[in-house]
Amino acid sequence: MSTMTNGDPRVEARAAELRDTQVRERRAKVDRMFAILIAIQYLAGIIGALVVSPYAWAGKERVLHMHVWVAILGGAGIAILPILLAIFRPGTVLTRHVIAASQMLSSALLIHLTGGRIETHFHVFGSLAFLAFYLDWKVILTATTVIAADHFLRGVFWPESVYGIANPEWWRFLEHAGWVVFEDIFVVWACFLSLREIDASARRQAEVEYLSEQEQLKTAALEMALAEMKATA
Amino acid sequence: MTAALLWVATIAAAYQALRNFETTPGRAAAAPKSWPQASRISRASDWTLVMLVHPHCSCSRASVRELQAVIESAPSIRPTVLVYRPTGFARGWERTDVYEAATRLRRTRVVIDDDGREAGLFGGFTSGQTFLYDRNGRLRFSGGITSLRGHAGINSGRTGVIDIVSSRGAPATHPVFGCAIATGNAKEQR
Repeated sequence: MSTMTNGDPRVEARAAELRDTQVRERRAKVDRMFAILIAIQYLAGIIGALVVSPYAWAGKERVLHMHVWVAILGGAGIAILPILLAIFRPGTVLTRHVIAASQMLSSALLIHLTGGRIETHFHVFGSLAFLAFYLDWKVILTATTVIAADHFLRGVFWPESVYGIANPEWWRFLEHAGWVVFEDIFVVWACFLSLREIDASARRQAEVEYLSEQEQLKTAALEMALAEMKATA
Repeated sequence: MTAALLWVATIAAAYQALRNFETTPGRAAAAPKSWPQASRISRASDWTLVMLVHPHCSCSRASVRELQAVIESAPSIRPTVLVYRPTGFARGWERTDVYEAATRLRRTRVVIDDDGREAGLFGGFTSGQTFLYDRNGRLRFSGGITSLRGHAGINSGRTGVIDIVSSRGAPATHPVFGCAIATGNAKEQR
């Protein structure tokens, strides 16, 4: 079909327009999905803290456990900006990068609230797969940087909270980050493949529109010629 | 930009608050160097380990989990878990998941410690506090066996106890992380 349009610049421009619209709408939709997910995670963090460690005790007395406060206030701190951006500025570059950072910080908080449980680390991998819906490898890079920085800094200042041991090797964060990069390779690849498919689809649509328009012009020209012939006959 | 900075500052503050909370140990025990004679706990002929537990202390789940690791690594230890129960609470108040976890430990005796009387004899104040006495009744370890509040995993408290029992380690201590057993020192315990 492309040979029929012969690289017409109008087709190229229309294809780019269609592709950009589709990608922008998709990213805005993913922003809204993340806003819902982040809100659910926030509530789940509070409920989890209330169920697992509701109170700190001092003999007979009890006070609300620090984990509950952190889930309420720290969780709100993590969640509020990405949710506001998703509502008021969906589809922008800033929104999806803030969401990526926030999602990784949510992982870090959940890992901590569960006492560094290795199972909670799966939240990171699930989140990366979801972030791939943006079809933007830079978002994956932001998320990876945030979680690697979190593990590095906590590994230096507070290693037990993330590795469960007091004296991990200095490179331990690289081991964790390495598994994240392992997933990154595939999700970034998937992003490029999906973008290529969207691009091909947009191009096909632009060509169909172009050819249809050409057909309509031809038909109109033929009808005009027939009308002129009838008039002269 | 202001919103982003505020966002980062809020998150950093939450991290710092959590870090302070989880890395601040409870009050260390003033443990007697020899087995307290007034204790109604019978001392084993070999190694005797005593752990104080507040049944509602969520951090103590990790202590009990670490105790399980100690029991598996050191078969000659005979542990006793003293479960704190203050007066004025209905019977069964102490039957929490921490208590149930302690009852499932192998070779372990679980004893209800009314008002922390036994804990007082051992000089303990904090849930998770662990004492290890040798066959002669001498104190060889006093401290916690978790690395932080509520964090299970390898730590020098746990390995210290195991090393002492396997004759590789000298008497040791380790910070203890948990809720307060006795009242009257609430501020420093939280």
